[in-house]
Amino acid sequence: MKKYLYFVIATLVLTSCSKEEKPIVVTAENYHQTVDKITDIMVHDIFSPPVASRIYAYSNLAAYQIMRQENKDLIDFTSKFEELKPIPEADTTANINFKLAALVAKMEIGKKLIFSENVLTTYRDSLYTKWKKTNEVEFNSSKDYGLAVARHLSAWIDKDNYKETRTMPKYSVYSDDPARWQPTPPSYMDGIEPHWPKIRPFTLDSASQFKPAPHPEFSLKKGTAFYDELIEVYEIKNEMERKGDESEEMKIAQFWDCNPYVSTQRGHLMFATKKITPGGHWMGICKIASKKAGLDFAQSSYAYTTTAIALADGFISCWDEKYRSNLVRPETLINKLIDDNWKPVLQTPPFPEYSSGHSVVSGAASIVLTRIFGDDFHFEDDTEVKYGLPVRTFTSFSHAANEAAISRLYGGIHYRSAVENGIIQGRNLGNHVVENLNIKPLTY
Amino acid sequence: MRKPFSLIFLFIFLTSCEKEKTSEDFLFENLPAETTGLNFSNDLTETNALNILDYLYFYNGGGVAVGDINNDSLPDIYLTGNQVKNILFLNKGNMQFEDISEKAGVSGSSDWNTGVVMADVNGDGFLDIYVCAVSGINGLNGKNELFINNGDGTFTEKAEEFGLDFQNYSSTAAFFDFDNDGDLDMYLLNHAVHTVNTYGPAGIRNKRIAESGDKLLRNDDGKFVDVSEEAGIYGGANGYGLGLATADFNNDGFTDIYVSNDFHEDDFYYLNNGDGTFTETLKSKFGHVSRFSMGNDAADVNNDGFIDILTLDMLPQDEKVLKASVSDDPRDLDKLKTEELGYHYQYARNMLQINQRGEYFQETGLLNGVAATDWSWAPLFADFDQDGFQDLFIATGIPKRPNDLDYIKYVSSNQIQKKINNTRLVDNEALDMMPSGKVHNYVFKGSANLDFKDQSGKWMARDSVISTGIAYADLDNDGDLDVVSNNINSNANIYENQSDSLSAYLKLSFKLDSQNTFGIGTKAIAWQDEKMQTRQLYNSRGFQSSSEPIIHFGFPKKEKLDSLLIIWPDNTYQKQENLDLDQHLVIRPDQSRDSINYKKLYSSPKPWFEKIDSLPGITFNHKENRYTDFDRQKLIPYQISDRGPAVAVGDLNGNGLDDIYFGNSKFEPAEIYFQRENTFEKQDFELLKNDEKTENTSAVIADLNRDNKNGLFVTSGGGEFYGEADALLDKLFKFENGELKAKDLPQYFENTSVAKLGDLDGDGDLDIFVGGAAVSNDFGKIPSSYLLINENGKFRLQKNSGLEKVGMTTDAIWTDFDEDGQEDLIVVGEWMSPQFFRNNKGDLENVSEEILEEKLNGLWQSIIPFDINNDGKMDYLLGNWGLNTKFPASAEFPLKMYYSDFDQNGNTETIIAYAKNQKYYPSNGLDELVSQLSYLRKKFPQYKDFAGKTIEEVFDKEALEKAKLLKVHTMASGYLLNQDGKFIFKHFENALQKAPILTFLKADFNKDKKEEVLVGGNYFGVTPYHGRFDALAGNMITQNGKILEGFELGLNFTKKSVRSLDLINFKGVVYLMVSLNNSKPKFYKLKN
Repeated sequence: MKKYLYFVIATLVLTSCSKEEKPIVVTAENYHQTVDKITDIMVHDIFSPPVASRIYAYSNLAAYQIMRQENKDLIDFTSKFEELKPIPEADTTANINFKLAALVAKMEIGKKLIFSENVLTTYRDSLYTKWKKTNEVEFNSSKDYGLAVARHLSAWIDKDNYKETRTMPKYSVYSDDPARWQPTPPSYMDGIEPHWPKIRPFTLDSASQFKPAPHPEFSLKKGTAFYDELIEVYEIKNEMERKGDESEEMKIAQFWDCNPYVSTQRGHLMFATKKITPGGHWMGICKIASKKAGLDFAQSSYAYTTTAIALADGFISCWDEKYRSNLVRPETLINKLIDDNWKPVLQTPPFPEYSSGHSVVSGAASIVLTRIFGDDFHFEDDTEVKYGLPVRTFTSFSHAANEAAISRLYGGIHYRSAVENGIIQGRNLGNHVVENLNIKPLTY
Repeated sequence: MRKPFSLIFLFIFLTSCEKEKTSEDFLFENLPAETTGLNFSNDLTETNALNILDYLYFYNGGGVAVGDINNDSLPDIYLTGNQVKNILFLNKGNMQFEDISEKAGVSGSSDWNTGVVMADVNGDGFLDIYVCAVSGINGLNGKNELFINNGDGTFTEKAEEFGLDFQNYSSTAAFFDFDNDGDLDMYLLNHAVHTVNTYGPAGIRNKRIAESGDKLLRNDDGKFVDVSEEAGIYGGANGYGLGLATADFNNDGFTDIYVSNDFHEDDFYYLNNGDGTFTETLKSKFGHVSRFSMGNDAADVNNDGFIDILTLDMLPQDEKVLKASVSDDPRDLDKLKTEELGYHYQYARNMLQINQRGEYFQETGLLNGVAATDWSWAPLFADFDQDGFQDLFIATGIPKRPNDLDYIKYVSSNQIQKKINNTRLVDNEALDMMPSGKVHNYVFKGSANLDFKDQSGKWMARDSVISTGIAYADLDNDGDLDVVSNNINSNANIYENQSDSLSAYLKLSFKLDSQNTFGIGTKAIAWQDEKMQTRQLYNSRGFQSSSEPIIHFGFPKKEKLDSLLIIWPDNTYQKQENLDLDQHLVIRPDQSRDSINYKKLYSSPKPWFEKIDSLPGITFNHKENRYTDFDRQKLIPYQISDRGPAVAVGDLNGNGLDDIYFGNSKFEPAEIYFQRENTFEKQDFELLKNDEKTENTSAVIADLNRDNKNGLFVTSGGGEFYGEADALLDKLFKFENGELKAKDLPQYFENTSVAKLGDLDGDGDLDIFVGGAAVSNDFGKIPSSYLLINENGKFRLQKNSGLEKVGMTTDAIWTDFDEDGQEDLIVVGEWMSPQFFRNNKGDLENVSEEILEEKLNGLWQSIIPFDINNDGKMDYLLGNWGLNTKFPASAEFPLKMYYSDFDQNGNTETIIAYAKNQKYYPSNGLDELVSQLSYLRKKFPQYKDFAGKTIEEVFDKEALEKAKLLKVHTMASGYLLNQDGKFIFKHFENALQKAPILTFLKADFNKDKKEEVLVGGNYFGVTPYHGRFDALAGNMITQNGKILEGFELGLNFTKKSVRSLDLINFKGVVYLMVSLNNSKPKFYKLKN
């Protein structure tokens, strides 16, 4: 026993003597990996699109606020947001690695907001071990700072009304109004997040600031605008069926599905087909653009954070409209009026129809990304290859956003107005975010 | 070293007393295949073409048929294999079996076999074998085969000749004579394989689909003709037929059919019209049925001569399985299926449906202890211990649980979906991730009051086999019934019955000259000691199996049978008296026989009430407003918004005739009907119309200011309004000068439940107690109750601190319980004990602890004074929630409700916890809890982390200690028996425990100069976890404590929630008005 102890002490003494104090290197690639990790956990935990956008926004913001101390070109956002006080100052005498601290804060906020903490903890601990081994002093001081910032933000996050909205009343399905949204096949899930407009926005003065133009007045009479749009949804699927699975419309619909939980039942067996959310997809595009442009760590955090804020406010704005108009989905009406076996190409997601969430947030995100990376930014979108989807090529963010929006019509889950008015709603909101946060093009 | 050793020794010694019985004490001995030769294992091999993903019934297993194929008096055994060969075992006596399949030529040629039936199809006196197959999906070939017995130990397959060579998806079949023409017809039970993602309307069943639709085949001189269409048998794409029972349920002499369907399709109850057609009447005769209905069995378990039904489902007992498995539908989805898509109410648990004279079925699975046996395939009723009451054997288990929530949400997605989408192949690894569903087989002992006692581990070992089909037979001819089970991936079992010789048996088989040589459908009624037992011979029972075609009775005493009545399938009868027991009788029909008169045999008592359509002029129809309490307070145990209508009967307009007040739900104005000479007349009062927002909960009509003119006092509630909402104000009305006027009342804003009038201060006028109900939006908080003191017709509020926070009240009575000449008050309510307030000259003093010593918190709903034991002292009848519920409660282990703001968001929550094996568990599943307490999702990222956790593990101990704790000590309805001024609580018998009792009415209904009490109840304001409390038909309690059932009274309130029972005098005749929630009132004429 004693012998062994001596040996340990000896080793400790030996290693500490020989330890070289190297600086810890943290790269933009580390940043991307962390975003991906949190995305993976969100897919596993099944977060709905609005809730996912909140997680992206806060976790990236935590990193960004630290990084702007390293890159003085980047402005402080804290003053922009209601009730947020400036983050704690870093101790200038300590050896603080801002990138490391940024990742620590990001993971800490991520851990707070996702469910499966242990997956993120395992990932974090593997990084911690590596960093600690490289330079324990630098690691400790940076980690402490990162945690302090996370604590500071955490208190502010807690006041965004998220907790309160968890227990607010469910959307009531009982109504004789044929225009009112009803749960849809196959699983007839409850309407999700009926109180999302009550979440504190980042840049909006109210959830209704970018209220879209109204949808055509509900009518089941032939010749009315609403009825025509309903029939269009039905006809488009017929047309797609004639063209077959290889049609461009089918490819577009499937590429942009971005439904985090598609339930499938085969006899006794039920299972879920899970994918990333629309927000997750735009985070993926942000990563592609950042890498293609060769952004550094701080710049990447800027691109992610601003895009994520546009997404988050986009969902608040969109959900505000959804639970104001409470419009019925095409699947419900087509089943009732035309064909009770009709199924849309995509599974109808469980919330009211107007306006289209993907259209709004794609519009908003594309405006921010265009501002940062420029208008003619070509990219190959391979974000969902791991979910079995192909690569598609886009000539601009706007091109991608337009396609994401129209995919909902091809998918049979939205009427045309929700798509067209939705993308306008999103672009207006995106421009507002650019202005409000004073977003500038990055030089790279 | 010595000490620990002796300690261990002691420990073993002590624990062995607690241990399960050793095998010598078991009722059933498990005989190993090595000694019996019954070598058969239904081994399943998953392949890419065939597995649980591609064929939803891959794990349904095989069946068993038992019968004497060579007429040597020893029953032989046929076992079907899904993928392995079927085997016929010849019984050589002494529990020795020999595989003779090859020689007999009965192995079959289909790729996938399921059910099997032995029946003498061609009427030559030898049992033939009909084997079902699944053919035409996933490359499975084959057909249903009929092996005709050549009488020499060999068989010839002749399905085609008989017209029974179906190539479809068969589960099983039953042979019986549906048209009473003397030969055996057949019902073929098929199952859909339909894997579309969603439900579709119930009307799908009207479109016949050959492969999956059930079929009724009429035997026309040896050729079976499909008569399904004209006979009214459904054959649609939604028919997931897994269970089939045939019996004469309504004792009209024709065989009826009960079909259990899996998933969302209803079960079917086909009543035989006697003219070759059937009428499906499930919705009118049954309140609710099993959801994932599997096997079933039909038998007269309560010995009333009418055959009852048990259907199996998959509700687990084990908390670890329960909370990790898919549970009941959310309420909205349940509503969608029942109200929009047209399905009946279905809940996932075993259902015991007690047949009340064929008039209605009462579901009592929870009350009688058989609701939860996990993944269950086959039930068999038989008197295994021969005590005169039928026992119950249940075969259970599945190799993999596809309804595991972690599997569905987390595990499956990556593994399965890519495989299916890309290659259409299934990854065995993905299948392996499903948890095992091995569950021990269950055996229950039956008893006189229908309480089934779980004897698993006492009558037999808790095995770990997966049993699917089972059959009973007297394999060793010792008179008691043995059981044979067909098991997946393990050897078939023989459970040899070792009943002791103290009890007695009677075994009957029949020999008929008609084509139905074994007398399928014959009824036998045995009498011993004035106790009746009834059996009807149908051998296709349980699941995919057929039992020995005999009738078996057990008797606790060896004395002779008083009589045995045999009713043949042609409805003629013969009777034998003074019969010796412990024998096997082979009975042939007597030469001359009379037809049985069923009406006389089951003579109905003269009903007390006669249903009439309505009273002239009354058009009231209570419509509950569409509000779901669970949308706002997701974890409350029941709704509080559906307690109406409020009803009062009395003379309002001073013409001396009974008028009626109906208080209505939110958005519907109350209605007043004045009685005129020949009719009732609805009044048009602006005052009521302008107050449609108010929801009324109770009403009383009385002379409140001693002017000999009645006033009307109405309480308001509805469980939606809160704070100082006008709609919460109670009202006092009076009819003056042709108009209804509102009178002054003190203002108080409360969700009130009841108003009761009594003279508190002894000044000769009526004072009012107003009880507060559960608080809207803050369930669990104690509301305020009020005392309104009458001073010359004006009311003032009187403070009484003891009464003010008495609890969530539901009912009260003014009654002189201490017999001092002053009216005292008793208040009952939910999560509280009955509270006794003694009237001390106008002051009410709570004396409950003095005169009621038991812990007696209940979910009390109603109270009425009634001298139930006729001793001249007043007792009190109490309506509670009943015992037919998933909520267990006892003084030692009360049901608990924690009330607190658990997530500190400013809104309170309630958490219900129940005791199971001395530990407390939350009643809600994880998803439900998370819907109100989101932080729990983070604490339990996977369902398996949550499943099996006690309430203290789910919530922190500290949080629970901070919470207010409410309790229920008993769910039983009963009465407080007056013993020298103190009261003790007695349970009502089971007949009154089937659903909540909401109201009583006392009167001399049968003009015998004694009062009786009529009981009404049922309640539906709960989540699908509870289902529907719909079984009370209306009962009468007489002064000698006798309880009469609805069918004896001419009443049937099943499936309706009764809120008020009132007598109305109209043109010199007394009528009973039964007011219902969300429905029109019912009217009955008193017959005496």
